[in-house]
Amino acid sequence: MNKKGVFEDIIMKKSIFKKTIEIVIFVVFLFFLFTPLFSTIIWSVALVWYWPHTLPQKVGFDYWLQALGITKSLTLGAVNVVPAFLLSLGIAMIVVIITMAIAIPAGYALAKLKIPALLKGMILILFLLPRAFPQQPVFVNLMLMFNKIGLTGTVSGVILVHLVVGLVFAVWITASTFSSIPPELEEAARSVGASRLKAFLKVTLPLSAPGLVASAVFVFLTSMDEFTGTFFVGLPFVTTLPMTLYSASGSNIQFASVTAILLLIPSIIFMIVIQKFLKAEHLGGMGG
Amino acid sequence: MGNNLKNELAVGKRGIGVGVERPHSYTDFLPYILVFPAVMVILLLYLHPLLTSFWKSFISKEEVLSLANYEKTLRLYRYDILFTLGVTVLSTFIATVLSILVAVYLRLSKGWLANSVGILYRLPIFLPFVVIAQMMRSFLAPHGILNLFLAKLNVIDIENPLQLFNWVGLTFGFVWKEAPFMILIICGGFQMIDDSYIEAAKSVGAKLPQIITKILIPMNKPTILIAVTLVFCSLVGCFSFPYMLIGGKSPVTITVDIAHRVNYFGDYGVANALGVFSYIMVSLLAIYYVRSMMKKGLYE
Repeated sequence: MNKKGVFEDIIMKKSIFKKTIEIVIFVVFLFFLFTPLFSTIIWSVALVWYWPHTLPQKVGFDYWLQALGITKSLTLGAVNVVPAFLLSLGIAMIVVIITMAIAIPAGYALAKLKIPALLKGMILILFLLPRAFPQQPVFVNLMLMFNKIGLTGTVSGVILVHLVVGLVFAVWITASTFSSIPPELEEAARSVGASRLKAFLKVTLPLSAPGLVASAVFVFLTSMDEFTGTFFVGLPFVTTLPMTLYSASGSNIQFASVTAILLLIPSIIFMIVIQKFLKAEHLGGMGG
Repeated sequence: MGNNLKNELAVGKRGIGVGVERPHSYTDFLPYILVFPAVMVILLLYLHPLLTSFWKSFISKEEVLSLANYEKTLRLYRYDILFTLGVTVLSTFIATVLSILVAVYLRLSKGWLANSVGILYRLPIFLPFVVIAQMMRSFLAPHGILNLFLAKLNVIDIENPLQLFNWVGLTFGFVWKEAPFMILIICGGFQMIDDSYIEAAKSVGAKLPQIITKILIPMNKPTILIAVTLVFCSLVGCFSFPYMLIGGKSPVTITVDIAHRVNYFGDYGVANALGVFSYIMVSLLAIYYVRSMMKKGLYE
């Protein structure tokens, strides 16, 4: 019954000429979509590349080995990405735990429990604002606030910034996950004597697990990729992977390319796995 | 235990519609207890600094209420404010047109070409702007792959490559990242339109342009507007990409100016005034977004 695609003839009557145009457009599409990525991959293994040669004269993994700390580096602008990667990973995991511990109850309450309409409306607006308004001025003033209490330049300060960024999405995703679960199921469990908590743990939680995992992964990635907040609150003492990429970017293109590839691998793997559990609109929050 | 049982009985009764009032039970406060931590985090770490940024923009260096910051902002940065608005409008416009065309193609076509486009286009959605910035720096550089390619095709003179670390490169990167996201949202909307509408239009002789402008776009107006809004608002606030692509050169977006004001001058008044200009730029669309999300019901 899937009739998607029966309208080929609207776009173009099939002829060799039209098919050729379609393929030419496809090739241009592929070029612009993938060449920026290939350019970065080639630069990460380019040892010698003189302009205007199409490909590098000499390739090898020297910069990879140096960036990963396997061989010692004397190159100008060299970075060791391992400490930055571990720091980013550690921060992201803590952020996921705190964010989900706060977002799951809030999402559940918003989706399932009775809150007076006016209050609920105000809470919803509060969680929509960060999505609509630019966040950079907020981070600047958060930095001033953190200056007073000694959180600027600390890992705790960076975790708090990432918490704000991740929490907004986590609350929306968990709320929409919980609201997609029919309330009759939990009511049935409670009518045979389960407590509210037990009904939640045994019925609602397992059913919403895929959405909650997707939300957690999303928060993990926003933390791994977070730039603006870390730039103001973390630098120069907390150098996460995006900060390392930023500082390498101006000085050494090979190290910057290696760091960029390391940063995009988790994004691509995770998102391929979880994207079907997420609403399209939420994906727009990736990597501001 | 006894109390617990009573609660459950009460809940059970309420479940079958008897409606027992139980004032001062913990379940009455449960929703507030559950949302409290999340609301506090956003109030303290988001809303408070947001309001501070408004307030501080009216406080001059001498700690008095004045419009001095705005006067200075307009004097130093009026071109950057227009530049930001221009690049954002241009990028959003190109991304919208491009994504509608691709979404139409994906809706009306099948075959291996359409199928591969339908999967491959998603790549940029998942990449953070900081990675895209690095990719564009090597792709769009004067001695980058794009110039190399254009030179090999004899489109440009190899001694005189295109300089793209400006509004052109910025627009290219913005469209590269945001058009796929818009395709994803708009495709979702197009799938909701039943084939019978398109068939009916076809049978009365509608051609592709009519089908796009009379059926697909009007029936998906809310979806498209939400996509436009999300893209416009996130581009106005985008900092990492313009900072890494254009940096200290001029003209540049106001997000970069804010960073310079803060890092080099410690001038928070002007930084916040610039921030307020960015709020003003998104305000109309932001209000539309908040209102339509509230109207849409909760999360659907």
